[in-house]
Formats: sequence, C-alpha cells, structure tokens
Amino acid sequence: MHLRKLGISILGAAFYLFSHMSFADETCMSPYMAKIVGQEDYVYVWTLGVEGLGDEQDKLVTIDVNPKSKTYSKVVSVLSVGGRNEAHHSGLSDDRHYLWAGGLDSNKIFIFDVHTNPRKPTLHKVITDFVEKTGGIVGPHTFYALPGRMMVSGLSNNKDNGGRTGLAEYNSKGEFVASHWLPTDGDLRGAKKEGKFADGYGYDVRVQPRRNIMLTSSFTGWSNYMMDFGQMLQDGEAMKRFGNTMVVWDLHTRKPKKVIDVPGAPLEIRCAWGANNNYCFTTTALTSKIWLIYEDDNGEWQGKAVADIGDPAKVPLPVDISITSDDKGLWVNTFMDGHARYFDISDPHNPVQAYGEQIGGQVNMISQSWDGKRAYFSTSLLGNWDKDSGGEMQWVKLYEWDEEKLELTHKWTVDFHKEKLGRAHQMRFGAYSLYSSKTKNNKKDVTLLDK
Amino acid sequence: MKKIIILILLMSCNHAISDDTLKSERELIKSERTSLAIGWRDNLGYKLPKSGSYELYKIRKSGNGDVIKENGEADNLHNLMNNKITLLSFIYSNCTDTNGCPLATSVFYKIQEKLKNNKKILNKLKMISLSFDPTFDTPEIMSLYGKGLSYIDADWDFLTTESYNKLSPILANYDQPVIRKYKDDGTYDGVESHLLRVYLIDDKKFIRNVYNVDFLHPDLLINDIKTLLLSNE
Repeated sequence: MHLRKLGISILGAAFYLFSHMSFADETCMSPYMAKIVGQEDYVYVWTLGVEGLGDEQDKLVTIDVNPKSKTYSKVVSVLSVGGRNEAHHSGLSDDRHYLWAGGLDSNKIFIFDVHTNPRKPTLHKVITDFVEKTGGIVGPHTFYALPGRMMVSGLSNNKDNGGRTGLAEYNSKGEFVASHWLPTDGDLRGAKKEGKFADGYGYDVRVQPRRNIMLTSSFTGWSNYMMDFGQMLQDGEAMKRFGNTMVVWDLHTRKPKKVIDVPGAPLEIRCAWGANNNYCFTTTALTSKIWLIYEDDNGEWQGKAVADIGDPAKVPLPVDISITSDDKGLWVNTFMDGHARYFDISDPHNPVQAYGEQIGGQVNMISQSWDGKRAYFSTSLLGNWDKDSGGEMQWVKLYEWDEEKLELTHKWTVDFHKEKLGRAHQMRFGAYSLYSSKTKNNKKDVTLLDK
Repeated sequence: MKKIIILILLMSCNHAISDDTLKSERELIKSERTSLAIGWRDNLGYKLPKSGSYELYKIRKSGNGDVIKENGEADNLHNLMNNKITLLSFIYSNCTDTNGCPLATSVFYKIQEKLKNNKKILNKLKMISLSFDPTFDTPEIMSLYGKGLSYIDADWDFLTTESYNKLSPILANYDQPVIRKYKDDGTYDGVESHLLRVYLIDDKKFIRNVYNVDFLHPDLLINDIKTLLLSNE
C-alpha cells in the first residue's frame, strides 16, 4: 500500500513541477525561501538615516507596489529604529515571517515582523550582542536563510577592525548558534589554498545545496567601510586592505574546502537556478570584472574572470548584481556612473553586455521580480561613500523590463530625500499571498510556501 | 515502485515513433526526475562527509506539546521522544504536494528500510509524523495513514492533536507556518500549504539539524544520526 502511495506521488510530480517552474519572486534570495507567486505587494527598504534629514534615524520604509492599490507607489509605513547604525543589508527568514536587517557600525541586528501586517511591519527583536556572542565578528552584512536558521556574514573583527572575519549562524528565534571563521594563511582550517591569497575577508554568502557547497566573497573591514571614500582612495595602505578571495565551503559541515583567488574585492554572489547549472557569478568592485565560479568536469570548483564591466580603467565600481530566473541574464549595477547593465549569460563562460541605461547619479541595489518584468533600483552604498553628502540623491525607482525589446521603462520614483527618509539601501519584497489563502481583495491566490 | 517506473517508460515507448521522439521522451522523464526533490532519488549527488567528522550544533531546545496517539491515548511530544534520537516531521494525510509531506514520509520509510539490519541504530531512533490538521486527521485516520508504512520493527508514531489550541503552540515553537483553506461561508476546508521541515532532535531534546526539501535525503539523515550517536560515545 505504501509503495503504491509513493509511486502515485512520483507520477504527480510532473504536474507539480510544470505548474511551478515559471513563477516565483526575487531571483537573488535563498533557495530555501518561500516564494511570492506573481505580483509583490510591498517593497521593504532598509534605509540609512541622514543627519539633518527627518528624524535622522535608520528606518524600515514600506512602499506599496501593487498597481491595483489606491496607494500604489506611495510610502505606507515608516518604522524608525532609534539612531543610526550604518544600515546596510537585510534578508528574510526562510518562512518570510521576519526580516533581519543589520547595522555595519553598531553591529545591531533588527528583526522585523513582516507577516502579522505586511503593510505595517513592527520591530520584533533587536540583537545587541553580536560581537560578543560571535567571538569578535564585526559588521553583520548578508542575512541568508537556511532551514530554521539564518547565516550572517561579517565584514570585520573587533581586534584590528580589518577585513578578517567570519560567518555567524543564528537560529530562527534570533539566538546565536555558532561562528565559522574564514580561512587565513595562519589558519587555513583544512582548506586548500589555490592561489596567492588566503586573506580571511568576508562579504556575501550563497549556497548550491544540490552540490553541498557554500560560497563566500570578500570586501574590506570596518576601518575602510567607515572611512570617507575620497580619503580612503588617497590612502595607499587602506587600499591594500581589500579582499582578493572567495572560499568554497562544505555546506553541510560548515568547513572551508578551497580558497580561490578573485582579486579586486568580489562582492555579491548570485548562483544559477537551473538544476544542472552548477555555477555562480560575482563582480569585483576594484577591477570591474564579472567572475564565474563554477564546478568543472572533475567536480572541482574554479574561478575565472569572464567579462569586463564598462571600462575598468574608469573604475565604474560594480555593486549589486541580479541573475534572471532562467539563468540567461545578469544585471550589473555600477555605482560611479549610475548605470544598470544587462549581460547575456546564456553562455556563462562568455557574458556579453546586451543593454545599458543610466538610472541616476548613483545606483547601488537592484531587486527584480521572478518573471523579470519589474526591476527596483536604490541608491545608497555606504554613509561615507555615497556621492551626496546631504543624501539629496537618494531614491527607489521602479522600471519595467521588456526582454524582447531589451528596454527599461521608468514607472515611478520615490524620492527619499524629499520625503525626509534617508538613504535607500536594500529592498526586499512582501506579499499577502505568503500569509493567507486569500488576498485582500478576497480573490484566491494560491501560494506554496516551500518552493 | 519499480513497476510504476517501468510503466512510465513503457508509456513513453508507446508514444514514441521515431528514435528522436523516444530520445526526447526519455530526456523529458530524466529532466523531470532530476527536478524532483533530492529525497526522491537514490543518489544524493555528492559524497557525504564521514559520520562523526563534523559537528551538529545545538540549534535550540525542542518544543513540547500535548498530542494524541494512534490508539487515541493522550501523551506529550517529549515523553514520546523517549530519550532517543528523534526525527520529527509535520504532515497531513490529504497532502498531495509531491515535494511536501509524501517526501518526508517516504524519506522516513527509506530510513527504516536502510537501517532494518542495523538494530543498534534503529533501536535508538524515534520517528514522529505529527499532523497539521486535527480536524480531518483523527487518531483513526493517522492510524490508517501509518498502517503499512511502519512495517519494520521501527519506532514510528503517527500523531495528531486534540484541537488547534493544542496544535498551535507546537507549530509556533517549531516555526511551522500553515496556510489553511476556508470556504466562502467561512467553514474550514483543510490545509492549503505549509513549509516542509524535518527536525533532528538529540536524546537531550536539542534540535541538532533542520531539513527542508533541498536536504531531505535518507543517506544524509542517517549520516547525521550516526554522527549524533558517535558524539555520545
């Protein structure tokens, strides 16, 4: 009887898979995360407070992005957290009930409840002992959901404020579980050093569970990311303190396996979604290149530069990237010239720029819908690195993307300076469909949570 | 199950006229299979670390709660864990999501099969399938659900709860959100979706791993069970 049940389940699988392969939501999130099917209702913007602007505090700004709503494209909620923390990145828990958001300077982690009322998030918990609990990790950066847990990548440490750092693992209740320090020349922690560097620096973290690997990239420590940008560029010693590595980890054991040279501060990591696409992309901030980190025919993970981004000699400073759900396109934002570039990555070993558009005077983050039709852009990089000292060049913009015509069309802008909000950074999506079987319009909108 | 797979192949052969069509049909079947959750495949796809060579961190203390056994008797989760290493899965009997409850149940089934000749481990393992749906999944239904599954001498319970008031704190503790269906008149119409999670709990009742659809494979779970047992020696 039980065998029959299992057999029927296999037969049913084809229907299930085909009905879910073409819909989901953001393309850069953890594969463990619940998916938004169709239209997102809200964008949550983790926003850095600006001195002299509004209440000057860091805040979670909620924008209504459902075109059917009366308050479409309007800010519908502002939740200030008290003071400025160098608000930076955020990430949703695997059930999408909570949004974790970090302060790179204060080392606080703010956990917002976004499910009780998606239109009006509340502050659920604040973690204030991150450095103490983790044994000295500083600068909580990426919040990456694992089943029942949150992996937090650090940027620095409390001994020298440099780039040596680690990953911190928390449980779903916001309690510390373990630290995993990145391998260095002095302590490779069992990893194989592939090239010249084993700097122990950190930045982003992503996984490919079917290959049991976790990848980390490397940026710079507190002493640099809190320094004035112009001053840092003139400081030869400071410019040496950037990461040049990526680390391949055994995801299950949390042990580093291999350190790969990726010179020039590899930042965001985006892994392909296809079942047989065993590769991820990153871009290097200082050398302006796209790198492919891939599993070769022998099962070894390798890294190689596969394309230039703009004119590297002009240091356009690639920042956020976003892979399309079909693994055919990669958006690359460059901060200095405010451009969004779309690369055709159908051949991941030979990306080709197919489109480019200036989004503004500066641009940092991009969040696209799973179908790729909507792309949201925001501006802020770091408080002391943004071009606008008064925060006057800060916004969130929505563009529609026509894949056939290769064309971005601007839909609306929320001016964060005019609305006295601050500097707009990471954007995450929310939707009623995640939390209820009925939308607010009482129309059925089935969402499966665990795909 | 083999018969079913052979049947699928035969069906595709009947449709196939040319070699190219046959090939594409087989490729389609192959691609469908590789898209299924990893737990449906025999091969995990990567080499497992040696059991005992890695640490399973204490994630947090597991939650307790009042439950009803298949025979209708009341009990609680911690008591039923019986100081064994426990695999806890939340399911409901009407679940048709291939990569959801049937996956979790089939992985439990395969674990007991793979361990049937290793009584030393099997005797230290408890498996619990607890229903999301006390309305439809009565003790009698859970008993029927489990009948034939736990045919080996494995300690596998199929539990439900008396009411949503009893179930809710358990779901909250284990972070198990559920979307429920309601008819237009507001009456309850069953579970619509849930987040698949399976918990590995040690003999001291600490959660040591959490598996979802991307991790739920019998070989991986057995490796972790062995790792916990080795850490106790």
